[in-house]
Amino acid sequence: MIRVVALKKAVLAGLCGAAAMEIFSVATRRAGLATVDLITELSSVDFNRLSVLADAAAVFAHLGIGVAWAVFYAFFFWGRFHLRPAVQGLVFALLPATLAIFVVYPELALMRSHAHTITLSLHGFFAPLSPTAVGSLIVSHALFGLTIGAIYRRPVGYAADRKPSPPVWHRVRSQGAHRRETGAGFMFATGIECSYPTVDQGRWRRDEMESTRHYELWQEDFELAREIGITHIRYGPPLHLIFDGPGRYDWSYIDPQMEALRELGPEPIVDLCHFGLPSWLGNFQNPDIGRALEEYAGAFAERFGWVRFYTPVNEMYVCARMSALDGLWNEQLHDEGAYARAAWNLADASIRMSDAILKRRPDAIFVNSESSEFYQPCCPDPEIKAIADAANERRFLPLDLIFAHPLGKRMHDLLCAQGIAKDDIARLGAREVPRRSILGVDYYEWNERLIDREGNAQALGELFGWYVIADQYWQRYRRPMMHTETNKMDADGAPRWLWRQWHNVQLLAKAGVPLVGFTWYSLTDQIDWSIAMSEPVGLVYPVGLFDLNREPRIVGLAYKHLIDLYAGQPDYRECKALKEILR
Amino acid sequence: MIHGFVAAHGYDPGPSQRPLLSGAISGILATIPAIGVLVLFGSLKVEADILGMSPGLTLAAGCAAMAIAGAAYARFFGRAANAVRGGWLFGMSFGFGLWAAGAVLVLPLLSGGRAPAGGAAVGVAMSLIVWGVGTGILVPFVHRPLHESLETASKRAAVGPDAAAAKKAPIREQRQKTRN
Repeated sequence: MIRVVALKKAVLAGLCGAAAMEIFSVATRRAGLATVDLITELSSVDFNRLSVLADAAAVFAHLGIGVAWAVFYAFFFWGRFHLRPAVQGLVFALLPATLAIFVVYPELALMRSHAHTITLSLHGFFAPLSPTAVGSLIVSHALFGLTIGAIYRRPVGYAADRKPSPPVWHRVRSQGAHRRETGAGFMFATGIECSYPTVDQGRWRRDEMESTRHYELWQEDFELAREIGITHIRYGPPLHLIFDGPGRYDWSYIDPQMEALRELGPEPIVDLCHFGLPSWLGNFQNPDIGRALEEYAGAFAERFGWVRFYTPVNEMYVCARMSALDGLWNEQLHDEGAYARAAWNLADASIRMSDAILKRRPDAIFVNSESSEFYQPCCPDPEIKAIADAANERRFLPLDLIFAHPLGKRMHDLLCAQGIAKDDIARLGAREVPRRSILGVDYYEWNERLIDREGNAQALGELFGWYVIADQYWQRYRRPMMHTETNKMDADGAPRWLWRQWHNVQLLAKAGVPLVGFTWYSLTDQIDWSIAMSEPVGLVYPVGLFDLNREPRIVGLAYKHLIDLYAGQPDYRECKALKEILR
Repeated sequence: MIHGFVAAHGYDPGPSQRPLLSGAISGILATIPAIGVLVLFGSLKVEADILGMSPGLTLAAGCAAMAIAGAAYARFFGRAANAVRGGWLFGMSFGFGLWAAGAVLVLPLLSGGRAPAGGAAVGVAMSLIVWGVGTGILVPFVHRPLHESLETASKRAAVGPDAAAAKKAPIREQRQKTRN
């Protein structure tokens, strides 16, 4: 799969488009206009002795051609233009209309000939094209385009109240194979992108595992990870599909995959909440999500007692910002207070989930992944500096809460203004953070931002680099660290980015920071990555170790090269920092 | 523009793949049903007549042309050609393009304006569509056993540690100049 195509929708669009063309032709011919009827044209081609069959075959052929064009549209054109869907279809219709006018329609006239060969002149070839014929071909194709454009939309995701089919075993389990013990070796990780936020005010569910076909190809995905030499995989069971209500779980969405990971590896770092909630829990403004997710985490740890690594809530800052400040996901608000409320609820959930897991598995290890960000003011303007300062303080809020770091006055006051009791804030501040907590620091080329003269954040690219930004987080929290996400949207430049990130990790480790792992995120390409899944467009971004056909990308080869080169080295075969955590 | 659309979805053919070989093999295999269609509609004889060649020679030339066309298809569509779900469609559109460009435009030019008509013209069009669908369906399956393994492909220097440096390393260039 190169493009995410909703095949059923495309087929329906094609059928309706062809039908719209035919209705137009019949209506205009009944009105006395000598317009082109493609079914009549097709049925008269060399089949004209059996008119009933010919008509049926021609109808079938025309519908088939409509479907083929609609699927072609879905693969190559949909989402490429920033236009309304119907207008996109209209623009696309220029292509079939041009071919119909200059190739197909004149050729159909040749096909009606009773001779085997004909001597053509340019004028003779285009002779059948009367102005009425050209006009009707243009109008009927415009109708076709408008129809397929109007019908074919939202190729990815599904209505929030619907559930896709659970995954199944497709093949016999590998005989004799078993999971490679990872011990205290450095973690060479990847992840299966598993975001599941809602958009369109909670009505439409984005589900990256569904869009990338992981629910179908999960066995192959795990095999590919093993082939590369991956030791750990960041893996997010679909909370919204599993957690049906208080005390109600549908484990069929995760049992087969967890069984396979337990048997064959890689070792999972289980990500229990990734940017979304089950619809019955609403959104991140709901103060009850902490208790609900605490119950879920406990049930999960009970069922899969062998799992050691957990990310209770992934990228709390990003989740709160996108949902409550940038207005893209879930509650889709644009409010600083709503951000603080979401951050508090997420941190509360993370803490409760960790505690619930520790009750079942006291030696559990928590990889608290967060997006590392930094805001640089562009100039000495006090207003610009204040915006950058606020953004830099805001990025730490969720981690400050879970790592019991004293809050700055601004964030403390913001939480209090949302009705959060000072005692509750103080309680978190005095909390004993689980000893086996790792700070996961994600980094992409847009994580460093410039606050420009208008006060807007602009991506800076790799200005200071992961080393500098991650060091800010190290200085603040002093927790063992892991590079838990990175990738590059330019597939050709990805190996360069991979090695440079790796050297950042090495340098930080050399500076004395306890580093336990590195991650290329993700195993496969991702969908709508550049627009943060805010619209269900279905564009594929080549950020994976493998594409969506599960063919290797060049960075997949580079990562294998890197792992082969370093995994056997003494410092990585036994990682002191991880050994210290595991003791 | 066309390359942009294809590149947006297909990108390169894949670092461990052999697109030309798999496309050529698929293209030759797909000529088998396409020849059946040509024979069924009596188009083979007509094409041979137009080109002034024997049917056997016409077939041989057609197979060679389709091998090249298959290789061109797999190279042009890149990763898209590997898609099991969409391969039939990409191949069909390529076959349609070959018909529109080759049979409708180039063939009459080469033969002084002579072109197939009637049933023979239908056969030519159908055979190229069938060839395209066949090639599109076959490429994803043919190219798999032709892959270079991950093990050997990952050993290439281009994906190794040197990749961290800029493509044109200024320091090395400077050294070179100093030596000269």
